[in-house]
Amino acid sequence: MSVAAENPFPIGFDAEAAVSGVAWVDRRRADALTRFRAGAIPHRRVEEWKYSDLRNALESQREPAQLLKATGDPFAAIEGARLFVTDGRLQNPEGSLPDGLEVLDLGLLHDDAPDWVKNHFGEILKGGPVGQASLALMRGGVALRVTSGLAMPVHLRFAQHENTVHARALVVIEEGASLHLLESHVSGGGLTNIGVELVLARSAGLTHLRVADMAPEAIHVEEVGVQVDRDAKYHGHFSQTGAKLARLELAIALEQEGAEADLGGAAILSGRRHSDITTHVMHRAGKTGSRQLFKYAVADHARAVYQGKITVAKGADGSDSRQTAKAILLGERAEADLKPELEILADDVKCAHGAAVGDLDADSLFYLRARGIPESEARRLLLRAFLEEAVANIAGDDARAAMWRFIDRGLSGEGETPQ
Amino acid sequence: MSMLEIQNLHVSVQGREILKGINLSIAAGEIHAVMGPNGSGKSTLSYTLAGRAGYEVTAGRMMYRGEDLSALAPEERAAKGLFLALQYPVEIPGVTTMNFLKAALNAQRRARGEKEFDAINVLRLVRETAGQLKVPEEMLRRALNVGFSGGEKKRLEILQMALFKPLLAVLDETDSGLDIDALKLVADGVNALRAPDRSMLVITHYQRLLNHIVPDRVHVLADGRFVAEGGKELAHELEAKGYAGLVRDAA
Repeated sequence: MSVAAENPFPIGFDAEAAVSGVAWVDRRRADALTRFRAGAIPHRRVEEWKYSDLRNALESQREPAQLLKATGDPFAAIEGARLFVTDGRLQNPEGSLPDGLEVLDLGLLHDDAPDWVKNHFGEILKGGPVGQASLALMRGGVALRVTSGLAMPVHLRFAQHENTVHARALVVIEEGASLHLLESHVSGGGLTNIGVELVLARSAGLTHLRVADMAPEAIHVEEVGVQVDRDAKYHGHFSQTGAKLARLELAIALEQEGAEADLGGAAILSGRRHSDITTHVMHRAGKTGSRQLFKYAVADHARAVYQGKITVAKGADGSDSRQTAKAILLGERAEADLKPELEILADDVKCAHGAAVGDLDADSLFYLRARGIPESEARRLLLRAFLEEAVANIAGDDARAAMWRFIDRGLSGEGETPQ
Repeated sequence: MSMLEIQNLHVSVQGREILKGINLSIAAGEIHAVMGPNGSGKSTLSYTLAGRAGYEVTAGRMMYRGEDLSALAPEERAAKGLFLALQYPVEIPGVTTMNFLKAALNAQRRARGEKEFDAINVLRLVRETAGQLKVPEEMLRRALNVGFSGGEKKRLEILQMALFKPLLAVLDETDSGLDIDALKLVADGVNALRAPDRSMLVITHYQRLLNHIVPDRVHVLADGRFVAEGGKELAHELEAKGYAGLVRDAA
């Protein structure tokens, strides 16, 4: 028997579940631990993790986490309420919170936690082992409840400088309420595992912008479960510059008629960075809609992964889904694995999907150079042009400008670097 | 002074010889026209002058103001005052026309060791020039060439020419796809840039552009060689006889 088999959980996943003494919490965490232990740390022979070998990444990780030199939060210029989760622990909010927003520390749950937490915490995300581990091994996290149309965005900033952090977030948007959520991650290395549960009640709206800025040695996995009720709209945009292994997995359930999800993102990857966006959109009722557009610019030895599965359930007639993933490869050793997948069990549905891997357009490159723009700058402009489509549908000039700041930083090669 | 001296130029594209030994001499301040049927090598000549990858000079040379062009990258040629107005300007989403103009202007100035323009100066300069060429401000805020009509794209090419103030401008089929009003607007823009120290090479299939931009010399290109040369009257002769007649006469 090999050593690995005796100790199946590599560093980062070897901890025991903490005991809080609060029965309902401990029960859910024990259940999650059982589900986690029933599986294994995903590796490349597990189909869904074929292009993102988490076990190998953990076993080959040498560099300890460090503080990151702050190049700034791309959302800093946007006014809003700010919440910081540092190494998995919610910090005291700075300033006052807007009306219609409730905030709760998931590290301090009680027996008499409100129903909106008890009803959803640990109940939305029932997917893979990594998401289960984020609950079972969690250090803490944050829960938000929105009961009206919030006047200002809420920033949720996760920062990490310890070697292993498992954390959770829960966002509940009540009927007719709406939220602009700005989620940013900064990681100096180590393993981050975050589980996020988003609940949109009837006619609720959530605009979710997420950027991840990580050290090249960081391992960052995040599983997001989204439940979308009748006539509710979820709009998510996810941009990143990758890490040693960076995986964002979204499971989105369109539960009732009129539910919609609109997903987009851009990744700019260089060096040996990796970025995996895996989505599963489930059309569980008729007249639901989903759109996805992801764009990747991949240089050097970097690797981009998109796996997008769409399931249209039996009876979900009149559903409309579209998904597109495109990558530009900027080096002979760069790689993009784009895998759209459709599973249609209903009649009368519209589904369109496509994936394309290409190079920068030679006509355009020549045009810019012939106007005096040096090749490196011309390439950067064309990459921007390529990514534009994925940024264009972000609502709000401020938010779009913030996303461009993040992307431009990636394109000019000025990521956050360890001190 | 000689602006451009092309001597025995042979150019191959993907191993196929397109230009088969051409000679052309343009003095400062002169306007020359190159006319020829489709496939004669007109665009190959313009791309080779501008330095597009894949256009291989297999023999001969192109001397621009005493310097061999072959050794220079496209952006270096631009900074030294060579400008190519393209037949099909490309669309670049995500880059506004104004930002593109600023990037190009300043890249050229940087390459020449000149001080870069700040945003306000670029804006003032571009607005002023755009007004003269009837390019609306709204066009400058849109993504470069995206959704522009054929006429708008060509006007933007001429706007760039006016901004960059090249010493040698090559206009590759600038008349294609233009109605008569757009053609006149573009021609007026070009004529306004005529100067004793500026030369132009106007490449066209049809004579009609040359009614508006009157050349000093006309060269007829067929199958990679110049088959006839003359003054502006040659363009009219070509219009009357057609290429087939002229090529036959020359042979």
